[in-house]
Amino acid sequence: MMTLQEAVAALRKRSTVWMFAILLLVGTLLVSAFAPRVFIDIYTYFCVTLMLVLGLQVFMGNSGILNWTYVGFVGIGAYTSSILSVLPSVKAMAVPNMYPALVELSLPILPAILAGAVVTALIAAIISWPLMRLSDAAGVITLFAMLIVMQVIMTQWDNVTNGPRTFFGIQPFTTVWVAVIAAVVTLIVTDYFRESSLGLRLRASRDDRHAAASIGVNVVAVRYFSFVFSAFVAGLGGGFWAHYITSFSPKAFYVIEMFLLLTMLIIGGAGSISGAVTGAVIVTIMRQTMRQVEGWINNSGAVSFEVYGLTEFSVAIMLILILIWRPQGIVGGRELRLPSLGKRHQASAGADETAEER
Amino acid sequence: MLTVSELRASYGMVAALHGVSLEVTEGELVALLGTNGAGKSTTLKSVAGALRPVQGSITFLGEEIASSKPEAIVKKGLSLVPEGRDIFTSLTVAENLRLGAFASYDRARYHEDLEEVFGLFPILKERLTQAGGLLSGGEQQQLAIARALMSRPRLLMLDEPSLGLAPALVDQIFELIASLRERNVTILLVEQNAERALEIADRVYVLKTGNVEFAGTPSQLERELDITEVYFGGEGGTSEVTV
Amino acid sequence: MIGGEFLINTLSLGSLYALIALGLVFVYGILKLVNFAYGEYIMIAGYAMFMLGTLTGLPFYVTMVLAVIVAALTSYLTELVAFRPVRTKSFNAMLVTSFAVSVMLQNAVVILISPRARAVPLPPAFNASINILGVVTPLRNVLTIITAVTLLTALTLIMKYTVLGIAMRAAADNFGTTRLMGVPANLVISVAFIISGFLAGTVSIFWVGRSASVEPLIGFTPLLIAFIATVIGGMHSLVGAVVGGFVYGLLFNLLSVTLPASMITYRDAFMFAIVILFLVLRPEGLVRGSYTEERVG
Repeated sequence: MMTLQEAVAALRKRSTVWMFAILLLVGTLLVSAFAPRVFIDIYTYFCVTLMLVLGLQVFMGNSGILNWTYVGFVGIGAYTSSILSVLPSVKAMAVPNMYPALVELSLPILPAILAGAVVTALIAAIISWPLMRLSDAAGVITLFAMLIVMQVIMTQWDNVTNGPRTFFGIQPFTTVWVAVIAAVVTLIVTDYFRESSLGLRLRASRDDRHAAASIGVNVVAVRYFSFVFSAFVAGLGGGFWAHYITSFSPKAFYVIEMFLLLTMLIIGGAGSISGAVTGAVIVTIMRQTMRQVEGWINNSGAVSFEVYGLTEFSVAIMLILILIWRPQGIVGGRELRLPSLGKRHQASAGADETAEER
Repeated sequence: MLTVSELRASYGMVAALHGVSLEVTEGELVALLGTNGAGKSTTLKSVAGALRPVQGSITFLGEEIASSKPEAIVKKGLSLVPEGRDIFTSLTVAENLRLGAFASYDRARYHEDLEEVFGLFPILKERLTQAGGLLSGGEQQQLAIARALMSRPRLLMLDEPSLGLAPALVDQIFELIASLRERNVTILLVEQNAERALEIADRVYVLKTGNVEFAGTPSQLERELDITEVYFGGEGGTSEVTV
Repeated sequence: MIGGEFLINTLSLGSLYALIALGLVFVYGILKLVNFAYGEYIMIAGYAMFMLGTLTGLPFYVTMVLAVIVAALTSYLTELVAFRPVRTKSFNAMLVTSFAVSVMLQNAVVILISPRARAVPLPPAFNASINILGVVTPLRNVLTIITAVTLLTALTLIMKYTVLGIAMRAAADNFGTTRLMGVPANLVISVAFIISGFLAGTVSIFWVGRSASVEPLIGFTPLLIAFIATVIGGMHSLVGAVVGGFVYGLLFNLLSVTLPASMITYRDAFMFAIVILFLVLRPEGLVRGSYTEERVG
């Protein structure tokens, strides 16, 4: 039996998750009670995005490897769950060339989303083992190339994805409460991962690959399983996203979307859940603001041409500034915990005092 | 000529130097000894500018250089022959030497300097057009020193020049270092091979886990410290390993 | 099928791809940075040709020179403003910065000019067919080959026989020790970026020449080509980049003529699958450099 002190300490350690979970749930209550429809939509979208960023954090934040393929896995989850959940009659109409076997498949929505996540993880399991052995430039280019392969397949495989055209007819399932519960569950799961044996070994390999290997960490295996888990979360997020947005095309799983997810994670701080949440909040606010600004400019006719791309431009600038001034992200590598918000400053000050190679 | 004062340096979160102070006067050959991980290389790298110290001051010829860039420090006449030889393996011997003279290039002097260097290391003249990576260990060490000499250093720092070389070559290297002394090159020598270093040094410092344990002449050292302490760090002869 | 026309096409495509790859490897060799913004230097040069061509009355041979200068300048500025401050931080920071710079430049153009493609005025002679040794081909192709040969020769001479070239090769070999020789780090890196931008600008002339238009994402495909070519040829040497470019050009044309019509849309996927195979089986590429890619497991 744990003493009261031990129990409190354990809770405190997990306080990050509970803190955010409570904030999210309370937020949902307030939003769904008082906010206009538009804001509820933004909030729902934010929760789904949060799931996606957390999944990215699982592998990228803890391994230090930039995971360009992530958004491709989101796509796999989205397509798989949609193919499974959309009614056969709708599929036959929406995706005229779909394989008959796929058209017949039909599952209730939640199992479909879960199945989508499992399929995504399986695909990741099959293709990613050799990738985990690469490092630096080879790794970067390989993962990027993998993303392109996924995109090409999604855009060309008419019989499954409807090619470059929109896949529509997905039932809306992800209401604001579904989204927030899914997000909270993801928070719990990814936090658990981070502090688990696998997560700790992965983080050790990030900080010093050779030192980790020398204490018996099988770096390749650790990366592999974490990658597969990350893909699972991606697939899950993709499923919830698909059932929020109800129609999408392969474009949603390519470079610019990857960029936005990456930015959210890095701006907030790739090393922690708190970072993922913070980054998602900041970038979401920025996007919505910029969208408004674009709208005002275009509607007011202040300039003679239409303005687009302001969102991406400002997000890019913000990312560059963060990388210059605070590359570890706004939150830094540690989790925000309730009682130790003060102590956090001491820890990071210590890290700043050491010598750097020039 | 060179004054290092209360130098502190770290690699990431691991502190390597805890306040090292030493001095080198013009014309001297000073040896910096100690076990593996004592901080000898770290000291040289900090002086050469390859590592930025956390605290402390480094003065060379009256100027503070602790926060200077390596390329600026070489220009002042302070050259480092890095450990592990570190020559440019994909460049030829000639190109390695040409780069050595980069900081203080003077067309007329360059050819004079080359001839001098060939006088000291005739093998390099033979291998002039070969890629550095094809040279033997001993030849690479010679190239590394020759390259540093091309910059006409006032103070030459050598980081473990005899490491990994066969005994005959070790002799050669130490003879060479001694002869450099004759040519008025001030030398700061880091070595694991304490015996040989003590034979040629004017003064010696012994580092232990980032601190100066001893400072004095070789004869003083022999009287006060057991040589195995210098090699193995004392306390029964187990070697100190710091990460 | 494999005849004179195929040969000229492949030589010209290979030349273009070799130049593209070379521009990327120049920066990679010294900084070990895969510069995602490289494609955007090509894009900016294209827009320079567009704007100068449509807004001023300058003849093409002037606008194209200016476009190359603009690309080199853009490259230099991105290094100065975005890459230099991040250089001392982690390797990943530089990589993500290059990605961010790429997105920023693309969207700057979208905001300031247009998200839609714009036509670039080209002299008609550029794409006119000429007869070379019995083979009919656009003049552009021949010019590509001539330009590539000239630039490669010039760069080889510079890298081999000038002090700066030696210093840059040394920096690619061992950056830290190069600084210990007194070579200013910033100088070497800036020059590498300028050369990279210069090559990007040159590539842009021929790239835009094929479609006679620019659009914000025009730099993406060349970037991918650079990636593939350097993976195939090897990232550790300039020679590798050039070899990779030609091999890729050959592979591309071969796939184009041999793949059945139904699979042609999958050609890109094939190319990337080959790339991935290379990366997994032979990450150092065809041309071995002085060290091999570190394996993790």
